[in-house]
Formats: sequence, structure tokens, C-alpha cells
Amino acid sequence: MRKLFMIAAVLISSITSAQTNKAVKSGEKLTYAASYNMSGLMTPLAQVTMQTQTVKTSKNTLLHLSCNATTYTKWDTFFKIRDNYESYVNPTTLKPSLYKRDILEGTYTKKEKYLFKGNTIQSTLKRKNMPETTKAFQISGSASDVVATIYQLRNVDFSKMSPGQTKSFVVVFDEKEMGVTAKYMGKETVKAGNLGSKTCYKISIGAKTNKLKGTDKNIIYLTADNARVPALIQFSIPVGTGQLTLTNASGI
Amino acid sequence: MRKALIVLAFIFTLLSVIFAILPMGTLGLLPVGLALVFSGLAYAKSAANDRTVPKWLLIVAGLILVVVIAKSMTPDEVEKDVQMEQQKIESQKEDLKDLEELEAIE
Repeated sequence: MRKLFMIAAVLISSITSAQTNKAVKSGEKLTYAASYNMSGLMTPLAQVTMQTQTVKTSKNTLLHLSCNATTYTKWDTFFKIRDNYESYVNPTTLKPSLYKRDILEGTYTKKEKYLFKGNTIQSTLKRKNMPETTKAFQISGSASDVVATIYQLRNVDFSKMSPGQTKSFVVVFDEKEMGVTAKYMGKETVKAGNLGSKTCYKISIGAKTNKLKGTDKNIIYLTADNARVPALIQFSIPVGTGQLTLTNASGI
Repeated sequence: MRKALIVLAFIFTLLSVIFAILPMGTLGLLPVGLALVFSGLAYAKSAANDRTVPKWLLIVAGLILVVVIAKSMTPDEVEKDVQMEQQKIESQKEDLKDLEELEAIE
């Protein structure tokens, strides 16, 4: 009986975690305008691009997901941001093999690399004026990096969910595993750049971390179609609030 | 009252200059608006032969308003960083090496 229960549990978890990618294509390019709330006015600060590209190794074909944040030229003199988050994932399951984070924010720099070896991550970390450190740590089977998780979220079929229902993810960030929940909150119409006004799934992101603030303050609006493109992302972090608005989408 | 209005107009005109230099976008309209209001009121409260200071404050605030509007209307652009693009290509080559090594283990 115990064995039977275990087999059933493994089967259920494999069905829920091994989601097939239908929403994310290679060659996508999503461009966003990132604004920060200053005294109640949204001030445009940076451009964020999310791109997908097929890469081939001698054995496999992988999907390269990259997210870049670049401050607008007028801000560069005051506070230059060049953030780059990348993930190499299986194109079918969106399970990551390699994750990289390269940060330049003002004078602060940080480089991070995770190699996913089964349930172990081999991480390399380099901070400004600090020696490079390497570490190996265990993760749960369903854990992903932050970039892959954003794309995995696009494969959740929200049309079958009712408002209030949640979907859980496990994300590895800053060499730690954390639980992330995506709560479906219903549908809303949102402006989606060159795609026009789109009916979107409103998703509230919650995580057990001090990096996100407030309840239902971190929202992602995904277009209610097969591509489930993030049209608007509203965030609330300890230093303030802001949003990412889609300005251009191609290759979807 | 007139003196207080001139002081306030002066402070907000100074703030307007700072906001106009910084890339604050439409947020720069806030101090400019207040500078215009206070210098306008100071102008109205001043006697006809004593309007030089509020008049100049009004002119400066008006000019800053034009600058702020013009700056907020220019499109936001990102710099094309050739060095960074080259670094990305190099980095991708390294990534492929890592992935090949990872596949060899598996």
C-alpha cells in the first residue's frame, strides 16, 4: 500500500512538473519600458528585453533565454544599469541546465553562474573586490532558476483555473531555494504595446523572500492567448514600486 | 507676505533647475509649476514699481518649463554598447563549453 502510494505520488508530481512547452518559441523578442514610481509619477528608467534563441551543442538543442535591463542614455551618467540574466533550458520542459546572472548597477557588480547537475547545483559567484567562490548545493527536483520560471509561468493553463487558485514553483536565487506562488486573480484588459489592447490573465506573485513587498502587489498580466506574453509587470520592492510595460513584441 | 512668496518662488526655481538637469521626466513639472505659482503671486502682490525680482523669477521658471517639456517629449533611447555585445558573444562561447562539459558528465 505504501509502495502504491509512493508510485502514485511520483506519477502525479511528474505529470504536474513535466509540463510541455507550447507558449514559448525560439526567436521571440519582447521589449519593455521599466518605470519607477517617484513621488507618485512613473518615471521611465530603463529598457528591458526578453529574448529567446535556439543554441546547439554536440548532443542537444537548447533554448537560450535572456533578460537584459539597460538604463536609458539620459540616466547612464547618474546611475548606469546593465543587468543580464540568462538561462539555457530544455526547449520542451524548460528545465534549466545553465543559469547566469551578470549585474552592473552603479558601482556594484556581481557575476553568478549555476550549473544544474541533476539535483545538485555547482555555483560560481564573483562580487566586486571579492575573490571568486564556488559551491555545490542540493536542490529539489522541480527547482528552476528565476528566468526559466518566468517562461514556465507562460505555460500554465490559467483558462482552467478559477480566481484565487494558485500554482507553486521552486526557484533558486542567491544560492537559496525558495517557494514562489502564482495566484490567478481573474482577467483584465491591458495595453500591450504593438499588440494593442489585450485581455490578460492577472497573476499575483508571492514569494517567501524580503525582496518582494506586500500582498498582491507584484502582478504579472499574461495575454489570454496561446503565447501568454507578459504585457504588464507591476512590482513592489523594499525601495519602492514600479512597472514594466510591453512596448514591442516580435517572433511570438 | 510678498517676501515669503519671493523666497518660496526662488527655492522652487532652484529646485526646477536641478530637476531639469536630472533626467526626471515629467516629475520636473512639479517644482516648475510651484515656482510659477509663487512667482506669479509675488508679482501680483508687488507694487508696480517693485516687480523686477518676481518678473525675472517668472521668466526663468517659464524657460525651465519649456526645457522640461522638451526633455520629457524626447524619446527614451538606450546606448548601443559594442563592447558589451562583443562580451556577450564571448560569454556565449564559454557557456557552450560549460554545457558540453555538463553533457559529457550526464
